[in-house]
Amino acid sequence: MELTTIVFYVFAAITLIAGAIVVFSRSIVYSAFALLFAFFGVAGLYVLLMADFLAVTQLMIYVGAILVLLIFGVMLTTRVIDVQMRTGTIHVLPALLIVAALAGVLVHVLVSTDWKVLPELFTPEETAPQIGTALLTTYVLPFEVASVILLVALIGAAMIARRERKV
Amino acid sequence: MEAVRTYFRDIWKALSSIAVGLNVTIRHLVRPAVTIQYPDVKLKMPERARNRLYVNIDDCIGCDQCALACPVDCITIETIKATPDQDLGVTSTGHKKRLHVPRFDIDIAKCCYCGLCVYPCPTECIVMTDVYEFSEFDRHNLIYQFSAMKPDQIDDAKAKLKKAEEEAAAKKAAAAAAAEEKKKSEQSKQG
Amino acid sequence: MEELLQSIIGESWILYVLLAAPPLVFILVYALVTVWTEMKVSAHMQDRLAYMYTGPHGILQPVADILKLLQKEDTVPAAADKPLFIMAPYLVFIGTYAGFAALPFSSAYIGSDINLGAFYIIAVSSIVVVGLLMAGWASNNKWSIFGAMRSAAQIVSYEIPTALALLVAVMITGSLNLQDVIRFQEGGILNWVVFGGPLPVVQKLLLLPFTVTAFLIMFIAGVAEVNRTPFDLPEAESELVQGYNTEYSGMKFAIFYLAEYANMYLVSGVAACLFLGGWSSPFGDFMSGPLWGVFWIVAKGYFFVFLQIWIRWTLPRLRVDQLMYTSWKVLIPFLFVCLFGVGLILVL
Ligand code: SF4
Ligand code: SF4
Repeated sequence: MELTTIVFYVFAAITLIAGAIVVFSRSIVYSAFALLFAFFGVAGLYVLLMADFLAVTQLMIYVGAILVLLIFGVMLTTRVIDVQMRTGTIHVLPALLIVAALAGVLVHVLVSTDWKVLPELFTPEETAPQIGTALLTTYVLPFEVASVILLVALIGAAMIARRERKV
Repeated sequence: MEAVRTYFRDIWKALSSIAVGLNVTIRHLVRPAVTIQYPDVKLKMPERARNRLYVNIDDCIGCDQCALACPVDCITIETIKATPDQDLGVTSTGHKKRLHVPRFDIDIAKCCYCGLCVYPCPTECIVMTDVYEFSEFDRHNLIYQFSAMKPDQIDDAKAKLKKAEEEAAAKKAAAAAAAEEKKKSEQSKQG
Repeated sequence: MEELLQSIIGESWILYVLLAAPPLVFILVYALVTVWTEMKVSAHMQDRLAYMYTGPHGILQPVADILKLLQKEDTVPAAADKPLFIMAPYLVFIGTYAGFAALPFSSAYIGSDINLGAFYIIAVSSIVVVGLLMAGWASNNKWSIFGAMRSAAQIVSYEIPTALALLVAVMITGSLNLQDVIRFQEGGILNWVVFGGPLPVVQKLLLLPFTVTAFLIMFIAGVAEVNRTPFDLPEAESELVQGYNTEYSGMKFAIFYLAEYANMYLVSGVAACLFLGGWSSPFGDFMSGPLWGVFWIVAKGYFFVFLQIWIRWTLPRLRVDQLMYTSWKVLIPFLFVCLFGVGLILVL
């Protein structure tokens, strides 16, 4: 087997196993930490897809920011150390429906996509400049809207935090 | 405006004080060290340093003053009176020795090196030396025994003292008996 | 180096192992040297001597220390979360070591010559944060968890100034690839980004205040990211015993230690690459070449490591609020000004 193929299966396995732990683990802390490996595996898959910028951003944002925030939240939840937080199954029927719908969409995408195989000697091009140019020309409006929304969220968070202190 | 000025002044202060601190430490970095390599190099002890105690038992008259002075009671002294026929000699300071010292123990582990035992000694035979390395693996080795008397000498001295005491007691009894006799005879004379 | 090895052994996994190994060897040797340097520097700054018996001036002491750590009992506290407790130090080390992959060591050697080098290093070091949190939580110990929380909060807030300062350099050099960044600065000390890069003199002079500020901030944020004094709140001995690694002993503790020292070099190396010309010689063509490159980059990186040691033994620890104040109210606004200024000058 080729090296890249092995690497692909390794990353895929990491992602899937970690994802399974996230879902099935009884302890919420384990789930949070397993998320790290899931994100990491996905980043690896991005690399194999030649999407290097996306891979690094995945690490930066999901691992560096969101995951840390999540773990912070879990840890700061009172008495998480002595009380075992459990994840259980509720609302089986609606969940099943949603999962089935989602799976249908994914399978459809999988089947209908016109998969291309890369030529043997493929040199990856730099993606960062392309993404940058696209964001600041073609997609400048969504980009700016997203940043405004984030700014609003930031100000809102600051407001809430301040009001609480006054009371 | 004031706030802005304080803001920049604080930053300037932080940077300049860091520079001052770094300057101090770097100058110490190149300065020769002031410490010595202890087990290899040793400081000379000052003349009156208070370290391990030493007792010159030949000069000790067994007066027990050092033991009384000790705040932690780490000196234990036992004495045996010498009988008149024994001459224990004089100390180097000219005191007459009247007591045997069969036991003179200093528990140096308890000693706090206060030196209080040194001053009262009339013969200046308990002194502090400049030895300060005397750690031991067994705590009992820290009980220093200074007495020079051997067990048989101790027994001998004890026996002599006992005999002398008995003799003295016998003498006293005899004297008392004689006195009684005398009294009686005097009474009978009068009577 | 990659081509050379490829021509000898061909495309196989051995090639990749060989390509990945040099930084590890470097870290191990460097950690030994730095442990010794740190002890010696700290001692001499306090007019002491430190190690003198194991070898001349105690140069073998780090080896002895490692041997001791290897022999120590590797305990896991009964109340700890065993799998996470065991995993945490390795995760921390992986996060650090992954950063070394994109750190150039010479014009001929870099673990992985990727286009996003600088960005990648910043991103991958966030795994370290998760590792620290894991260590703190798994230890099931108050001090550990406080240390881990502080550490995470600190690293997350100081990642921003690091990234922004990095952007300043990237704007001038026009590339995120550290090899390209260095090649851009080749040709003598005046071409370094900290002195404005190889641009026309007027532009250089205008850029100078911004680049120097960005460089200083990069260094400060770097010190904070590796949790060293005066930013060592996560390990504050006087408050938290040892912070997140309180419960660790033996080999796992050694790995934490190794990761900390490796991280010190990583931030120093990145700063050296971005602002001080990496492996390029300060004298232009004189003393340059792949092997001299190794010398120059290690010398530059080590200069910063020394600076970190020097600062550690000079400054007291900051308070948490001061720490946050420094990051959010001083470093970041200054960097925004820098970014804006540099952008303006480059466009005009
Ligand atoms: S030095 Fe002080 S403590 Fe020690 S034996 Fe003499 S009186 Fe006692
Ligand atoms: S004071 Fe001096 S003479 Fe008296 S018992 Fe102590 S050591 Fe001996």
